[in-house]
Amino acid sequence: MVLSQEELKNIETALVELAENEVGPVLKEKAGTLFESFDDKANQVDLVTVVDKKIENIIKEKLSSLYPSFKFVGEETYKPNDTGIGEEPTFIIDPIDGTTNFIHGYPYSCTSLGLVEGGVPVVGVVYNPHLNLMYHASKGNGGFLNGKPIKVTERSLKLQQSIIALEAGSERSSGSSGDDNFDIKQATYNNLLSDKGGYIHGSRSCGSAAMNMCFVASGKLDAYWEGGCWAWDVCAGWCIVKECGGTVVGGNPNEWDIPVDERCYLAVRGGCSEPDQKAFIEEFWSHVAGKLKYHW
Amino acid sequence: MSEPVDLASIEEFLCNLAIDEVGPLIKAKSGTQHNYDLKTGNRAVDIVTAIDKQVEKIIWDRVKSKYPDFQFVGEESYVPGVTKISDAPTFIIDPIDGTTNFVHDFPFSCTSMGLTVNKEPVVGVIYNPHLDLLVSASKGNGVRVNGKPFDYKHKIDEKGPLVLKTSVVALQPGSAREGPNFTTKMKTYEELLSCDGGFVHGFRNLGSSAMTLAYLCLGYLDSYWDGGCYAWDVCAGWCILYETGGRIVGANKNEWNVTVDNRTYLAIRGCSEKKDQEKYINDFWSCVRGELKYD
Repeated sequence: MVLSQEELKNIETALVELAENEVGPVLKEKAGTLFESFDDKANQVDLVTVVDKKIENIIKEKLSSLYPSFKFVGEETYKPNDTGIGEEPTFIIDPIDGTTNFIHGYPYSCTSLGLVEGGVPVVGVVYNPHLNLMYHASKGNGGFLNGKPIKVTERSLKLQQSIIALEAGSERSSGSSGDDNFDIKQATYNNLLSDKGGYIHGSRSCGSAAMNMCFVASGKLDAYWEGGCWAWDVCAGWCIVKECGGTVVGGNPNEWDIPVDERCYLAVRGGCSEPDQKAFIEEFWSHVAGKLKYHW
Repeated sequence: MSEPVDLASIEEFLCNLAIDEVGPLIKAKSGTQHNYDLKTGNRAVDIVTAIDKQVEKIIWDRVKSKYPDFQFVGEESYVPGVTKISDAPTFIIDPIDGTTNFVHDFPFSCTSMGLTVNKEPVVGVIYNPHLDLLVSASKGNGVRVNGKPFDYKHKIDEKGPLVLKTSVVALQPGSAREGPNFTTKMKTYEELLSCDGGFVHGFRNLGSSAMTLAYLCLGYLDSYWDGGCYAWDVCAGWCILYETGGRIVGANKNEWNVTVDNRTYLAIRGCSEKKDQEKYINDFWSCVRGELKYD
């Protein structure tokens, strides 16, 4: 089956209501109040809370009653090696994106609700209840912030004159551990910032992949480069970026066409011509200092 | 200056100026300035717009007519080697902090207005019109958020102990992207993040020193380390931070006592145990690789 534009809009509306009425209030109430109660995930920088799990349950229950035939992939119920994303409609959900922000009360945690069909993000809803920012989009229907169409200001896009979201992420071991993603990232940041390299206007980090994607979608940031995040971190934002004229490619050079679970991404804003976007991406890739490698 | 200065009324005056005149102009012009100058002439990333100058003039005019005897130091009127901060009451102003954000319409530009007496920041007002967030304080009078008293003690209790390893740190590469200071910054970031080093929970980069200090005051962040900023970037935030029990030292090791024009800073949020703050500072300094130096 292929969902119609109208069906996609209805799903978008249902996700907006779910985010606003059921997820947002829990996120807002609990942010910054559970500092002592986080448990360790891969290492102690990657923080998960009981609230994360609670919110995922709320979302899963609601969606399985509304759309019983759709598949569901969530951060908390994901098990390594068993979750493939197929052709059928699949919700891809991060109950709390920006968990570290959530724990520290930094007002950039959000919920990120996406739907893919045929492997392509077709609905995206990202809601930050702390700042009351609801970004939402569905394929063919445009991107919105709090119900108003997002209009990215038309202007040229040049790497040297750009501000780009760059995050450290939670993987922080250098070469000795057998994978050198951390070192490659640091060297790439250095290349982008240096006066002998990209010499970009600036980098920004807000600690949430979904929020970074939304800032790119609305043209507040020019690009976001990331390695190590998961499909649920980017799925919703991806749809919003695309609907606002932006594009998403791989974080490693020459990966023009990537699946949603690539784990390594470069999102670039709209508001400019396709050749501008393409030139920006190629110039960006020329500063990537090695091949980032991740697996599911 | 012998007569007492009524700090609370100055705070109120600056808050009104920020909300009524400065904020609306910043909000209206954000993202509209596609022509800008390079401040130092050669650094392609150190930018200033016509609006920075226009906003500074508005502030200057209002402040001068209300407080004609006070000194005034502003980012746009500053003359290197000539402009000095004396013991006299001195307004220290950054009309638009986060100019790069302002040009790109990233919603973290703000106005930052401070007052020093005897070189000590005693009034601070930071206003971000995009988020409609006004954070203000004056010495001895506590902190207000959008005009309402802010219960920083409750916030600090909620945050738990201040420890480097569980902290979120603000870091900004800034506009100097060459030479030893850039190298020191990048190496220090890596050391702070690395699992073999500080292994902090995370870093955040807002691209505005004043907004970063405001977020630190609100308890959103644990510390902020930077070099290359000026007195006007930190003066307002400094006053507010001290009112919440926070502290500012130098970015380099053993700089326990620094003035507002030190150019390098390590700012730490308030916490219930003073000795935790000192330990945090020492732990942080042990991750600094090299030394930040500015003229």
